[in-house]
Amino acid sequence: MAYTKKDLEKIKNSLASQKKDWIKVGMSTCGIAAGSDKVYQAFIEEVKKRKLDIQVKQCGCQGMCYAEPCVEVHLQGLPDVIYGHVDKEGVIKILDKHVLNKVMVKDSIYDLRTKR
Amino acid sequence: MEQKLIFIKDTDNSQDRINDFYAFFLNALKENKLDQAAQVVRVADIGIYDKGLVVKISGGANEIIYAFVQEANINDIVCRSVKEDKIIPELLFKDSPKQLRIVLRNCGQIDPENIDEYIACDGYQALEKVVNQLTPEQVIEELKKSGLRGRGGAGFPTWLKWNLTRQAKDIQKYVICNADEGDPGAYMDRGVLEGDPHSVIEGLAIAGYAIGANKGYFYVRAEYPLAVERVEKAIKQAYDRGLLGKNILGSDFNFDIDIRLGAGAFVCGEETALIASIEGRRGTPRPRPPYPSIKGLWDRPTAINNVETLANIAVIILKGASWYSAIGTEKSKGTKVFALTGKVKNSGLVEVPMGITLREIVFDIGGGMISDKEIKAVQTGGPSGGVIPKEFLDTPVDYENLQKLGSIMGSGGMIVMDESDCMVDIAKFYLGFCVDESCGKCVPCRIGGYQMLSVLGAISEGQGKLEDLDKLQRIALAMQKASLCALGQTAPNPVVSTLKYFAQEYHDHIVNKKCRSHKCKHLLNYSINQDKCKRCKVCAINCPVKAITGDKEKGFFIDPKICVRCGKCFDVCKFNAIAKE
Repeated sequence: MAYTKKDLEKIKNSLASQKKDWIKVGMSTCGIAAGSDKVYQAFIEEVKKRKLDIQVKQCGCQGMCYAEPCVEVHLQGLPDVIYGHVDKEGVIKILDKHVLNKVMVKDSIYDLRTKR
Repeated sequence: MEQKLIFIKDTDNSQDRINDFYAFFLNALKENKLDQAAQVVRVADIGIYDKGLVVKISGGANEIIYAFVQEANINDIVCRSVKEDKIIPELLFKDSPKQLRIVLRNCGQIDPENIDEYIACDGYQALEKVVNQLTPEQVIEELKKSGLRGRGGAGFPTWLKWNLTRQAKDIQKYVICNADEGDPGAYMDRGVLEGDPHSVIEGLAIAGYAIGANKGYFYVRAEYPLAVERVEKAIKQAYDRGLLGKNILGSDFNFDIDIRLGAGAFVCGEETALIASIEGRRGTPRPRPPYPSIKGLWDRPTAINNVETLANIAVIILKGASWYSAIGTEKSKGTKVFALTGKVKNSGLVEVPMGITLREIVFDIGGGMISDKEIKAVQTGGPSGGVIPKEFLDTPVDYENLQKLGSIMGSGGMIVMDESDCMVDIAKFYLGFCVDESCGKCVPCRIGGYQMLSVLGAISEGQGKLEDLDKLQRIALAMQKASLCALGQTAPNPVVSTLKYFAQEYHDHIVNKKCRSHKCKHLLNYSINQDKCKRCKVCAINCPVKAITGDKEKGFFIDPKICVRCGKCFDVCKFNAIAKE
């Protein structure tokens, strides 16, 4: 179908009004080389196991290639944070501590100071 | 109400105080009965370096960052900033973030394989505005006002390139996105294509509209399989939604995009070689003029733009030329993406406004050096660029300044080097790369490069003569003046710039037969420090050429005539008894 301006607006508004928790895994070459595809799979499996209502998404390079695999967590009522050097153990920690109990995982948050 | 997060990080590595501070914060929260309203988190990296204890409070009305926090301040911070959202001005860290993300605006934010997420970030709005509200001349005028210059390296004004192609009269014109990125250590284009392919597609379509082309090509190197896959998916999604193809967004503008894969020849990043490659011919450059804007692909007028240039277009159209031209320096507007690599703590993709200093990039964004060795130089522009010694770290980064220093902006590779990097070796490496990648069509590049490389090889092996330095300069000049394309013209740059700034190192290699950085192995001498040696014989056992002889009574010795300088003994000795000089 051919989009018009209205369609663009509609998609924009419908996505903007979505209020959903999500986990984002950096899946560019830099991330995948560091093992982010395994982390991404682990998140999908573990979220399913725990029957959590949280979306697992992929995204591109966040710029912190030194800390890949990077995972950003967005929960309503909490600021977004980025975890770096996440492995399978880290996946479980993030889900059990951060997502389930809203307690940040210590010593693994990487802050990226950028303006957009 | 949102729960507050108190991030703490000790950015002073000399002390080990973080656990104490953590406990102080917990106590202070408890005393103020705030332990439910806020949590203290030790973080791995807070994006600020060498500023004592840094505390960041997020979740309140404004994010508050304090630097150089002392134990005595903690109760104050908890009472005023955590409890009441008030700022303590004496402690406030005022420096705003150094990075500004325009090209990378969506990278790491959106799912690159989902066009809806791009549309939700104002995606394709610029294309809609362009095809329905603006004439091609207005688009070019807007770009002229924005001051955008090509991000592929040379910095040619984008509007001028578009205007020349627009003015060329022909029934068929083309636009090409140059994604043939090949500099060692550079991956900006890959990052953009993998993280936000739609922004480049939108830029390419706008370019097509502006110059009057209905066909665009992506020239991506085949070594980027993920980028190719994501671009392919993105193009298909755009076609499905009528954002490419016929009558785009209800206008009468038609535009098609195809992908062409490059086989990985570095020279194919040069525009005339790239065109030859797309046409199915051998990727070699041809003399210019005629420039591609007059006679390009299939002899039709063609505009070739770099990935990063195209990723800028949509934002400029949406936010306006004056917004864009307010960023950067007088002659270089906007931002530049750099792939920061080498001996720096935080290697990664950074995007900074033009005019920022190299020091800010390396130390404030990159977090400083990875080891305790001192910074020696920064290499920009890949094999076409040069090295910038540490004395010039405070130079604002823009096209003109880097050129003045004998380097170039290039596509955006930035490699940080420390005292353990030998400049002769670096020059040899980059020149070797260009010699490998030279297409061989023109003599200055084919023979000049090879000759320079053999001179450099001799110097690094201790066979150099002082007159070799003049010879290098002479061949370099010939290559710069007479080579057919930019590959040959710029290939001597790393040699020329190291000769200019690190002449002493060349002298050391030639006259003293010494390599201060211990990189050139022919100039190394291994010996055994008899005071440290425990006579364990491990070195002798491991020596592949049996150059180490001796026994427990007399001690062990290395015969320099047999030694091949492999460094094996140095690696296996547990007592640091092998001396390298």
